[in-house]
Amino acid sequence: MNLRRRLLWALGLGWGWGATPALFAQHVPQERLLQPYVGVNAVQKGRVKLEIARLADNGFNVPLKVSVASPMTAQDHVRRLLLLSNRNPRPLMAAFEFGPSSDQVSIATRVRLGGSQTVYALAQTSDGLWWLDSAEVEVTESACLDQT
Amino acid sequence: MTTTTMKNQNQVALTRRQFVVSSALASGGLALGFHFPAAAQSNELSTLGGSEINAWVVVRPDDSCVIRIARAEMGQGTHTGLAQLVAEELECDWAKVSLQTFTPGQNLARKRVWRNMSTGGSRGIRESHEYVRQGGAAARIMLLQAAAAEWKVPVTELSVEKGVVTHAASGKATSYGKLASQASKLPAPDPKSIVLKHPKDWKILGKSPRRLDTAPKVNGSLKYGIDTVLPGMQYAAIKACPVFGGKLVSFDASKISSRRGIKAVVRVDDESVAVLADSFWRAKSALEVLPITWDFGPNGKESSATIAERLREGLTSTNNVFADIDQGNVAEAIQGAAKKIEAVYGTPFVSHACMEPMNCTARVTADRAEVWVPSQNAEASLAALAAVTGLPLEKCEAYNPPLGGGFGRRGGTQDYVRQAALIAKQFPGTPVKLIWTREEDMTHDYFRPIGQCRLVAGIDAKGDMVGLHLRVSGQSINAYVSPHNIIDGKDRRQLQGYWKDPGESQLGYTVPNLKVEYAMRNTHVPVGPWRGVNTNQNAIYLECFIDEVAKAAGKDPLTFRRNLIKNHPKHLGVLDAVADKGGWDKPLAPGMFRGIAQFMGYGSYTAAIAEVSIKGNDVKVHRVILATNCGHAVNPVQIASQIEGSVAYGMDSLQSESSVKDGRIVEKNFDTYPIARMYQMPKIESVIAPTYDFWGGVGEPTICVVAPAILNAIAAARGGKPVRMLPLKNEGLRLV
Repeated sequence: MNLRRRLLWALGLGWGWGATPALFAQHVPQERLLQPYVGVNAVQKGRVKLEIARLADNGFNVPLKVSVASPMTAQDHVRRLLLLSNRNPRPLMAAFEFGPSSDQVSIATRVRLGGSQTVYALAQTSDGLWWLDSAEVEVTESACLDQT
Repeated sequence: MTTTTMKNQNQVALTRRQFVVSSALASGGLALGFHFPAAAQSNELSTLGGSEINAWVVVRPDDSCVIRIARAEMGQGTHTGLAQLVAEELECDWAKVSLQTFTPGQNLARKRVWRNMSTGGSRGIRESHEYVRQGGAAARIMLLQAAAAEWKVPVTELSVEKGVVTHAASGKATSYGKLASQASKLPAPDPKSIVLKHPKDWKILGKSPRRLDTAPKVNGSLKYGIDTVLPGMQYAAIKACPVFGGKLVSFDASKISSRRGIKAVVRVDDESVAVLADSFWRAKSALEVLPITWDFGPNGKESSATIAERLREGLTSTNNVFADIDQGNVAEAIQGAAKKIEAVYGTPFVSHACMEPMNCTARVTADRAEVWVPSQNAEASLAALAAVTGLPLEKCEAYNPPLGGGFGRRGGTQDYVRQAALIAKQFPGTPVKLIWTREEDMTHDYFRPIGQCRLVAGIDAKGDMVGLHLRVSGQSINAYVSPHNIIDGKDRRQLQGYWKDPGESQLGYTVPNLKVEYAMRNTHVPVGPWRGVNTNQNAIYLECFIDEVAKAAGKDPLTFRRNLIKNHPKHLGVLDAVADKGGWDKPLAPGMFRGIAQFMGYGSYTAAIAEVSIKGNDVKVHRVILATNCGHAVNPVQIASQIEGSVAYGMDSLQSESSVKDGRIVEKNFDTYPIARMYQMPKIESVIAPTYDFWGGVGEPTICVVAPAILNAIAAARGGKPVRMLPLKNEGLRLV
């Protein structure tokens, strides 16, 4: 953040803080994005693998794949998998529920992305632990529409 | 003839003087190479026989420095400006600088070390000045460390000038070329530890070295995208359904397949058909006589009249309207005012009309796809190519030759890349060069959106504006290309230049009772950003109306503006600068009239004065004076050149219109779509007044004041009768 933006934020005039609506949606910090789902629990990197292209020429339907390494047994399985956006108006893009009868956790879908951002795949295993993978996606925008 | 005044306000404070940028300042001649990857063999970027100090800088044994540039060059001079930023901190010899561009695949392979390659929004310099200067500074630090290590002296005892490092105490000296290999092995300094130079210490920045790309343009050796030639290449001409939203039903290839050189006739997508031949002329000529059946759909009934009616409805409707500013009580203030002034302004769809029509050369095989495309955002081209071919990004590449004009057309909207890839996919391994005809280009643009604006103002007995109600009704760019940027149904982008928020495109006027609204009224015509985007139309609406209000108040347009703008010193600064340079207080020759306008956009402040005369219906613009405060002036002569281009572009928009009949665009070529001609161009005087406390854009914000300044001069010449509905021909006027 450059000095000008820092000053604006300090003055409470940064986009999104004024009386008028923001010109562009703001990025939600990771902690605040995950908190509603994981509460105070720790989130670990690992087990989840998110595959999504680094560039998308628009955000209308961006393909992605997610898999979670798990034996999928009654004792040790994935309970749920969430796809989160740190910039969309609705951060929860998709939620998948699993149980021990699910053979494996592997999904492929398309999501709509409201601009360049970080996409998160968040999984909870049957022991209650949370696992995370994330990826930055650049949604290329029209030329002169300022601040992508 | 053109003159430029550089008003360095830092220096003004110290020395109280202005200085004129002359050819003497534009010294530092360069014998420069230009390294453009025509077709990279791998994602590894060549070091051109030198040592890569960091991502931005390569130093060769002969002391020449190669500076890597991420942004696209389309005539705006950003390559030279960005190189100056790096070279300033590098402390190299500018006469030994050359440029190297790279591909988006190479950027991705290095985890986007060069960051954003998009060139638009007047962002080239204002967005990247910090990290590219840090890149230059980091390289300098590493080179000095290499010298210190070699001589076993503290780095603080070293000095450097023009790439020559000296140790005063021992009298030792060496040059960057000799240090490069060792420096390239050193760890990069912590970016937080880097202190960038103060503008007062600049040696290369703030000066106007010759542009790096002029000679090949003048001697014709520069290869644009449309010049791409590959072995075995075929040429494609394309025709999309003339009515936007219509569909391709069928075509009869047998009628043209026996013509000489014709290779194939192919369906490209739901709405377009292409002919492939061994020359463009044969492809184009065959396509012209190809029998095609279209399904025009419901949009075939749309016309300029139906669209204008939709916009008029939006001017007073209560449906789908939002207020971005609503302060005080506008209705009451205007009701109780001594005088009420009301007007409706309108601006048409306009085309980008790039000199080089849309084109893209593509080669697609089962496991690799490549395009050669003049693009304002090579990463967008790459992403579009990957999306169409279904190949991963790593198996795609986009080569980005210089652009013959972009103006926003060649940014995120990569329709020509998609088409070229869709055609080439049907002929695996054969390079296909798709070229749009001028007619295709002008009728299938992403047009500047059409708009109307209703303005109502109240003035009190003293002639002060006590209330202003402004409502824009028109098409939304975001709704067409980036709907995710519309938040809660409110597209603030269309009100660019009327924002209360400082920093970007802020309204300069303070009115106690103010309401600014937008009624989104979309049409079937594709729209997109057009150099300056919404500042152009919004400046016309407001700045022409302000003149109407000033006249009703019996006040001089400058005095009236100065009173309204006094809370915004930077807006006032350029207004005063232009008035001073333009001699607003001095009488004009008989028959001459002038107009003034100011606006803000893309982080910069601009103001203009135009001087015109009218003879019958012929309007002659004699002189335009344009002042800008873009924060930091990297290359004053280049800024002046941009201003001159902006005056031409602003004069285009007074004359041109893409009108709609039977759902399609009527104007197909320059016979019906006039743009500014040489004989129309006025004398242009630029005033560059940087305050060195922010970084603003230049290429776009300097356009928006041109048209309203000229329109206000025309109104003055007509005894105060304004031109409210563009283009000028609606009033029977033409530029001569």
